[in-house]
Amino acid sequence: MTVTERASAGTKPPQIVEMSWDPITRIIGNLGIYTKIDFANQQVTECHSTSSLFRGYSVFMRGKDPRDAGFITSRICGICGDNHTTCSVYAQNMAYGIDNPPLAEHIINLGEAAEYMFDHTIFQDNLVFVDFCEAMVKQTNPSVLARAEKTQAPSAEIHGYRTIADIMRAYNPFEGEVYKQALKVSRTTREMFCTMEGRHVHPSTVYPGGVGTMPEPTTFTDYLTRLLSILDFVKQSVAMNDDVFDFFYEALPGYEEVGRRRILLGCWGAYQDPTACDYRYEHMTDWGRAMKVTPGIIVDGQQITTDLVDINLGIRILLGSSYYDDWVNEDPFVTHDPLGNPVDIRHPWNQTTFPVPQKRNFDGNYSWVMSPRWFDKRTGDHLALDTGGGPLARLWSTALAGLVDTEYVKSTGSSVLISLPRSEKLPEMTLEWKIPKWSNALERNRARTYFVAYSAALAVHFLDVALDLIRGGDIKVFNNFSVPDEAVGCGFHEAVRGVLSHHLVIRDGKIANYHPYPPTPWNGSPRDSYGTPGPYEDAVQDMPIFEENGPDNFKGVDIMRAVRSFDPCLPCGVHMHLGQGRVLKKLHSPMLGASHG
Amino acid sequence: MGKIRVGKPDVKIDAPTHVKGIHQGNTGPYDKQPGHHQDGTADARRSTGIYPKRHNPILKIMPNLPPG
Repeated sequence: MTVTERASAGTKPPQIVEMSWDPITRIIGNLGIYTKIDFANQQVTECHSTSSLFRGYSVFMRGKDPRDAGFITSRICGICGDNHTTCSVYAQNMAYGIDNPPLAEHIINLGEAAEYMFDHTIFQDNLVFVDFCEAMVKQTNPSVLARAEKTQAPSAEIHGYRTIADIMRAYNPFEGEVYKQALKVSRTTREMFCTMEGRHVHPSTVYPGGVGTMPEPTTFTDYLTRLLSILDFVKQSVAMNDDVFDFFYEALPGYEEVGRRRILLGCWGAYQDPTACDYRYEHMTDWGRAMKVTPGIIVDGQQITTDLVDINLGIRILLGSSYYDDWVNEDPFVTHDPLGNPVDIRHPWNQTTFPVPQKRNFDGNYSWVMSPRWFDKRTGDHLALDTGGGPLARLWSTALAGLVDTEYVKSTGSSVLISLPRSEKLPEMTLEWKIPKWSNALERNRARTYFVAYSAALAVHFLDVALDLIRGGDIKVFNNFSVPDEAVGCGFHEAVRGVLSHHLVIRDGKIANYHPYPPTPWNGSPRDSYGTPGPYEDAVQDMPIFEENGPDNFKGVDIMRAVRSFDPCLPCGVHMHLGQGRVLKKLHSPMLGASHG
Repeated sequence: MGKIRVGKPDVKIDAPTHVKGIHQGNTGPYDKQPGHHQDGTADARRSTGIYPKRHNPILKIMPNLPPG
């Protein structure tokens, strides 16, 4: 089994109360967490995560023009849609046998860097910190707040808040300084994104073969001035995060158990290096390792692979508790990959989606999310990998692999060094993210701010390289292509909250099969056919409770902190709402050559 | 769609695959966009139609970086 083992919390006779949160707020989409809590021993005894939303991208993509894939799949998500466009472009480039010109690749990298900075900032400071702010802690753990008032903040000289309670007050929603500043920063980072990819969050200038962004010198200097204006905020938020999370460990001994699960992390890599990347499947191992966020799978602290071909072939989509019929008796689309390796029927390339709506039953099927697992050929286990909310797995994998070495970010084998240039108030700073002891709620949250810094530092690197290309007169941003009749492609990228893959099969010049696998199916998956619970369930099950409130006014803040640390985003968790829907209005939109009305 | 009963689709599933008269987008429309060259470079005609040659660099070894 790949579940997390924990010591039993207590021996008092259990006093079990069922508690459920459906839907969970301050996330996107419809996630329900159903738990049984033992208030006598302050522990969660059982947890089920469920989603009541079905969307059917893999169903309605079939038969469409593959060139439309990037624009359609972008609509999977209203916050990280560009990650889907980018990933789709990667998959299409492979299928069409083309690559992006170097400058186009850097423009996409800069756009994606801005997206990570934007999304992590808004999620961390405007949504996650509501669980850690003064107003919340006052209600759930008054004794912790009293202690925070007396605890000096170790990095006060960087962020300017004297005590931990001062930082917590700055996190208060709508009123706190950090909350308000984060909103301004997220506006600036969106502007940076739009400079590169045209529009946020569904890019208008990213296509297979390159970009439509006009590569003028000012495109890049506009980005740079905005980037420099947010660096003070980035440096300060890393310092504040460290102070607050270290304080929680200190004030609530045992808090490392909140949201902790066995270290099973997956990262599919981000930021292509155009000097290495030709999008050929045959060379995917090499260009995968050249990415500026190294792909990898980490099991119990060991990196077992950094090879994208291995990662691709190990993906299995299991059923077990999901509202779908099995597809094992269908004809496979891809029996062997372009290297000749056999491809499993449970691989996304071969998946066919058969939705079967039914009543929710926690002993049977209870979610629209399927159960993606990674097959570990060493042990024969189907690992329920999580993404650590995205940044934790990315930094962990990059740190262990030791492959990234630029003047601004460097992987050391046990940590990641991030150098940020001088900004308005603060001098040049080198931050170090060290591999933590646990994969738990606080470390997932801590990694998020470090990854904002990592993206900011890499953005400076991409700007340097892009401006060098422009000064040399290389302003090519698009390669011509033609769509083949038969082809397969796969794209590996990192959505903001973790692994993202798009698997594409083209037949007769149309999409025969298309499966996007974003992070939340991995994180929010239900129990699979082997009985292995999904990461949310595993992280919350048997978790101790530190909240001081009893069953009557229980807020479940510890559970919410555990679940929100994964950055849940359910619209991508499941891929159309069915039912006896009423047609409100039927529209026919006329267009040039309308022949299919 | 498995066993779900669905109605007759209003449009064919591959509806806007390609509509005659619309540029496909796989190659640049070089004849319609003066100033853009086949090799990915550009000249001042990309930015202006008024005496564009006067805005090009004075030496061939200089990169041509038209604004906008």
